Amino acid sequence: MSIAPLTSDQTDALQEIVNIAMGQAGDSLARTLDVFVELSVPRIRLVHVSEIIKTVYGMVDDREVVTAVRQSFYDNLNGEAIVLFGSSGCLDLAVLMGYASELSTSGEQELLLDVGNVLIGACIGGIGAQFGVDLSFSPPSIMAERVVLETVLVPEKLPWEYSLLVEVNFGLENSDFKSHLLILMAEDGIESLRQSLERFMAAL
Amino acid sequence: MSTPITIVDDSSLSRKLMIKSLPPGWDVEITQAANGVEALEAYRTGKADVMFLDLTMPVMDGYAVLENLKREGMNSFVIVVSADIQPKAQERVQSLGAMAFIKKPVSTEQVTKILKDYGIL
Amino acid sequence: MERPVPSPELLDFIVDRVSVGVLVVDRDMNVVLWNRFMETNSGRSAAEVVGQNLFKSFPELPATWLERKITNVFVIKNFSFTSWEQRPYLFHFRHNRPVTGGIDAMNQNCTFLPVKDANDEVVYVCITLFDVTDTSISQSMLRNALRSLADASNRDGLTGVYNRRYLEHLLSQEFSRAQRYGNMISLIMLDIDHFKNVNDTHGHLAGDDVLRNTARRLRGCLRDIDTFARYGGEEFAVVLPETPWEGALIVAERLCQAMGSHPVTFGELALPVTISLGVSQLVPGIPRYEELIRRADTALYQSKFSGRNRVTVYHEENTSSSEASE
Repeated sequence: MSIAPLTSDQTDALQEIVNIAMGQAGDSLARTLDVFVELSVPRIRLVHVSEIIKTVYGMVDDREVVTAVRQSFYDNLNGEAIVLFGSSGCLDLAVLMGYASELSTSGEQELLLDVGNVLIGACIGGIGAQFGVDLSFSPPSIMAERVVLETVLVPEKLPWEYSLLVEVNFGLENSDFKSHLLILMAEDGIESLRQSLERFMAAL
Repeated sequence: MSTPITIVDDSSLSRKLMIKSLPPGWDVEITQAANGVEALEAYRTGKADVMFLDLTMPVMDGYAVLENLKREGMNSFVIVVSADIQPKAQERVQSLGAMAFIKKPVSTEQVTKILKDYGIL
Repeated sequence: MERPVPSPELLDFIVDRVSVGVLVVDRDMNVVLWNRFMETNSGRSAAEVVGQNLFKSFPELPATWLERKITNVFVIKNFSFTSWEQRPYLFHFRHNRPVTGGIDAMNQNCTFLPVKDANDEVVYVCITLFDVTDTSISQSMLRNALRSLADASNRDGLTGVYNRRYLEHLLSQEFSRAQRYGNMISLIMLDIDHFKNVNDTHGHLAGDDVLRNTARRLRGCLRDIDTFARYGGEEFAVVLPETPWEGALIVAERLCQAMGSHPVTFGELALPVTISLGVSQLVPGIPRYEELIRRADTALYQSKFSGRNRVTVYHEENTSSSEASE
């Protein structure tokens, strides 16, 4: 199955919608942590599954080990969101979240699940809100822990052929903490997104 | 005489939305800039008595524009229009000389209120 | 035709009788709703709990963490979750399963839902508790089975220390970590001196016992972070993470002395056992972990060659050997 690329107007609209949603996610994270959150310009690309590792590498641009939290969303828009956390800076996060500075493994997992949930919920929820639709979320889960990126995204294990890759980076002021939010949508998800975008632009 | 204003945003859709949200009847001459470098150009050629400035942009971001404007005397009324709505982001741009802050998505009511508050309208 | 609308009584009935815990709290952490599942499991009726502060009614709850979690739902207006995998339960409830696999309380997955008013403000947080004890039991049984299976396949049958397969697996992992982060690793290879004589003179049972006792005595001299393995026959290896060769040399000398200082007993017999050791350190330019083994082996043979019962460190040019100090 092949898929029509988004038109440049659609991409531009999506970019702006993601921008706003990301701002809300950053605000949520900042409120949770009471610290300034540094945001990148979101990057959006439609990629074939075989290209996905290469593309994510290009986006993430560091080769350190990551811990990945995933969460799926459905109702009106469906796809998966993955937050990749770099291995450094978790301690800063723990201190900010008010967790004890000595973190147990499950404590660290819980912390990353919470932060992943905040980012994904606010960002995806914000996109839904701009389209005027309600979304549901699955509970977040740890997808991989302290592994290299190749083991997180294995093309053979990904259930779709094309994916819309939306990448947003969050960093914390004066900290090594870094995270990347990836939104992945399969073909049917991309089609329903396209329809939402068309409705959004028609209403302008 | 119409007021020269510059709308700075890397998204053309976003610039369109901004133009749509300008108060009806405000006599303006609009320049559009897609990044910070173009924004400074517009400012230096006198096309930006009022500037609507996005923060996250490629090439040169909004923070850098504000720093440059400050260095060059800040002869512009800068309203930051941003999706980054963190309270600390608002404080930061105001400390860099921005007069006001508008949250995206923009609305005519928001824009009108700010322009009226500062006696521009 | 008009669509039938469920009556409030019907909805109340469902919320009360569903086999999921449902409780609702307001901004002041006062309980607004407490369904039958919560009543049955906590032994506290809705009449006792509703209208009271959640943390006053249940002082055993992790208040700091939970209050923050709930407050975040009010502020951020977003769902939140907890999973039994990180936090086995929110409320300490008994479970009613005869086979528990060591699980002492009902395991719970929880969802925190923001309840919004017409102005999009969050007025309540609704918490739902799902009993996932069955999942948790079967998962932990599976995990234990896998772990003991994995452990068994990594162990040497005779001595109980790690086997060569595991050692090589570990070395290759440590090697790639070192390549990424520049960690230091050293390796000690060691071999029991004249082991063939023990077998020939006292029989294979004595030989086996010497191997077991040697392994036990050496293991006792090592740090927890070191990995000790039987490499094959009478040859053993120690992987020392975060340790330069100077440190490994000290450890190796300690091992050498531990064996040489007093004999190994086999029944009535006291058999003097000494070992020869070789040390190598991972340095830039070593292309594979196998090279690290080869270098330690080279140093080990140097020890044998220069008289046994001693340690040799592999250096690129010359391998220097030091005799065990008495």
